[in-house]
Amino acid sequence: MHHVMLDHFAARPGRVHRLDPAAKLVAAMAVILATVLVGRDHFLPLVPLAAALAAYHALGRIPLGYAAKRLLIVSPLAVAVAILFPFLEPGSAVGSFSVGGWVIQVTDAGCVRAANLLAKFLLSAWAALLLVSTTRFQDLLQAFQRLRVPRLLVTQLAFMYRYLWVLSDEMMRLGMARAARDGGAGPWRLRFHSRTGLVGVLFLRTYDRAERIYWAMAARGFDGTVRSAATAPMRLADWLFAAAVVAGAAAICLWDRLIYG
Amino acid sequence: MAEPILELVDVRYRYPMGPEALRGVTFSVAAGERVGLVGPNGAGKSTLLLAIAGFVAAAGTIRLAGHTLSRRTVRDVRRHLGLVFQDPDDQLFMPRVGDDVAFGPATMGLTAEEVHARVHEALEAVELEGYEGRTPYHLSVGEKRRAALATVLAMRPQVLAMDEPSANLDPRGRRRLIGLLKGLPGTILVVGHDLDLILDVCSRTVVMDAGRVVADGPAAEVLCDRSLMESHGLELPLSLAARYT
Repeated sequence: MHHVMLDHFAARPGRVHRLDPAAKLVAAMAVILATVLVGRDHFLPLVPLAAALAAYHALGRIPLGYAAKRLLIVSPLAVAVAILFPFLEPGSAVGSFSVGGWVIQVTDAGCVRAANLLAKFLLSAWAALLLVSTTRFQDLLQAFQRLRVPRLLVTQLAFMYRYLWVLSDEMMRLGMARAARDGGAGPWRLRFHSRTGLVGVLFLRTYDRAERIYWAMAARGFDGTVRSAATAPMRLADWLFAAAVVAGAAAICLWDRLIYG
Repeated sequence: MAEPILELVDVRYRYPMGPEALRGVTFSVAAGERVGLVGPNGAGKSTLLLAIAGFVAAAGTIRLAGHTLSRRTVRDVRRHLGLVFQDPDDQLFMPRVGDDVAFGPATMGLTAEEVHARVHEALEAVELEGYEGRTPYHLSVGEKRRAALATVLAMRPQVLAMDEPSANLDPRGRRRLIGLLKGLPGTILVVGHDLDLILDVCSRTVVMDAGRVVADGPAAEVLCDRSLMESHGLELPLSLAARYT
């Protein structure tokens, strides 16, 4: 069985793919931080950030449809929050309607804020997407380690990445074995019962597998810390890239403060 | 007989609230010997491997490479025992093949250069050169199997112990594995039902049934004994069955 991996386009050769993962991680964090720090009804400072992301996107040659689809998948949460602003934010009314005696007003300030929130969400998610689309997950883990993210967390992420698909394969196989026998038909009570049984079996198998993995680790001398081979040091180009993005992000924050006060 | 590198004396184990899996297993393996451990399902073969590695606390004496297994020496024993598990997905737990092969040597405290050299050497030994950056999930079963073997070869164990090494392999993958195993130096303990593989790779065979050793001798002799094989839920290896019928 085969899945579309999280980092589908990350293994390709390319100019931005070759950049050091830690440099890219720092740059992505800087862009996201700048996006978040821009004032809540300011749009102009977001333009250069979007332009920078678009340039990176083009250099990484990531298909537009692929990116759009992934951004759409993560957007419902932001939309759910943004949709409330036009009704809740105080400001001058641009329209109103009544629902069963209640008059609900849509305010101009609310609309601006909703649009701003959506724009910021899109930029942040885009930055994160570009990072994982041009960096292999394993390299990202090493970047986390170099940036002193707690080891336990990095180890957890590594195991998640390694076994997520193994477990989903297992779930798929169990599901197929069930479907092969009931064909999705039968009384709902029985179907519900078999489905809960499936979850139980998956839990037990996962538990057993965790034990076997631990044995495999202990058999090779595991003592609580995962050591891995050393990584190549950052090159000048990596330093320049990270420094330029951080400086640009800081400049945008400063500009935002200066023009809007 | 040369100095035994693995010695088992009256090894017993009962699963908590379960059946008695090992009922007094005694045999020893000389350095450089290749031993096949066969027996029907539930004979206690896999449990014996876990007991040797100290994962199940068995009664009796287990000595490996001069260390008598105890709570205190379990790390030393594991360091000299290269245990290859049945499911390579359990064995390959790191995101990259190279990291996985490096795990053992790095844990042993070797320097970065030594670890790198060991990884290269082990991957070369299993014919997986250049696989360092590959994701284990995307390997074929045969490749996973060989990568799992590399993860323990990188530690240069004194005894290589494998549980069902040819399970789920296609004939070509199996032949390739047999070729690899025959070329490996050192002591090897192969557990499984692939009697032809054991006949090909091992010089000696130990038969277990119901937690006990029921036969022990030269592989060709033991595996050819049709009545012995059949009385313990086994059969003649296919290569021999063709010759004797």
